[in-house]
Amino acid sequence: METDFFSAAFLSALLSIILIDLVLAGDNALVIGLVARNLPKESQRKVILWGTFGAIAIRALMAILVVYILDVPGFMVAGGLALIWIARKLLTPEEHAEESHLVKGPATSLFGAIRTIVIADAVMGIDNVLAIGGAAHGSILLILIGLAISVPIIVWGSHLVIKLVDRFPSVILLGGAVLAWTGYGMIVREPFFASWFQAHPPAKFLMAVLVFSLSLAPWYTARASETFKPLAALLPGIVVWMLCFEVAGSIWKMQVDYLMATDIGGYAMEAARWLGWLPLAALYLWIYERFFVRRQQTANG
Amino acid sequence: MLLIRRSQRANNAVRTASASGELFVASIVICMILSAFGDSVDPTLFGEAGIEFAIFDLAGEFSVLTMRHWHLLQFLFAGAVAAAGLCVLRVCAARFTRAMNPAPKRAIDKVPI
Repeated sequence: METDFFSAAFLSALLSIILIDLVLAGDNALVIGLVARNLPKESQRKVILWGTFGAIAIRALMAILVVYILDVPGFMVAGGLALIWIARKLLTPEEHAEESHLVKGPATSLFGAIRTIVIADAVMGIDNVLAIGGAAHGSILLILIGLAISVPIIVWGSHLVIKLVDRFPSVILLGGAVLAWTGYGMIVREPFFASWFQAHPPAKFLMAVLVFSLSLAPWYTARASETFKPLAALLPGIVVWMLCFEVAGSIWKMQVDYLMATDIGGYAMEAARWLGWLPLAALYLWIYERFFVRRQQTANG
Repeated sequence: MLLIRRSQRANNAVRTASASGELFVASIVICMILSAFGDSVDPTLFGEAGIEFAIFDLAGEFSVLTMRHWHLLQFLFAGAVAAAGLCVLRVCAARFTRAMNPAPKRAIDKVPI
């Protein structure tokens, strides 16, 4: 990662981090309020001070840890997959959004309250720290800037963030897209697969389509009619089918390059690759229609 | 709990986002996918197929092949330009189709020809 402050790469990574901080900010004020509501006034002040301090400290510790963890082979792809799940979760509306499952009830002691706040922040901040680690491309400077941005949001900025996303809900969609893009980048940068992706360039494009189709499924199916709902499973399924041929090509040394077939075997392989998913898709649509749509129609009367 | 869940509109962003906002983000996503395509495509293959004009523009500045080096800022600008262009196109197309439709025969402002 370039450390030139005015390079497009640096500013883009910074913008990604700001967006991730905005959309994945946890509601610490609610947690502190829930935990400390039954404590005496003097203890409440201490809980707010030490709870906030503990939350910031645990966030900093996790940010440092994530830089080292992402260097371990295999963790980059795990982080990328986690970001796909986080993006899906971000775009899926929650029914009981007012409740916080992290806090079971008000604390009875000062230490218990601080411990609950720190644990709740650690759980709420995992996705944020992971996404920032992925967007920072291992740059400590960017991680520190990300931390410097997320801390004021934790402490003072909650009302501002709520106002912003309430006025412009598209920021959430943009955040989901940035998370998907960061997840895709992490998967293709994984040291285990980097050389394979280099040797199989079409796999990169297929992976991008797969990541976006999985991450943004709650968005593109939100307004879709029942007829188009299966698209959320069909599109990633077709991409996985295509990717399987790339993987098979490298395992069994088969010729699966586009437009490169020269003999009957090659043509059969190309035909299976481009058309083989059609019967499977038809079978899936038949099962979906037979068991899910009709059952729903029966239930609705 | 995420902070955005405190706002009803933000919690349900997939339904409450404005059409122009959705178009903007969709344009950015398409640019990102095109960038991945540019990263995976072999330019010589297009040359052999004789369709290199499809991926190269005059100066090579905005081709799909160049998009492989794009960062988020470029995606944002390109998404904004594409969304604005599509909006203008939509307005123009709507006006054009409206102008092409004949006025009702008994309309008060119908000009007799």
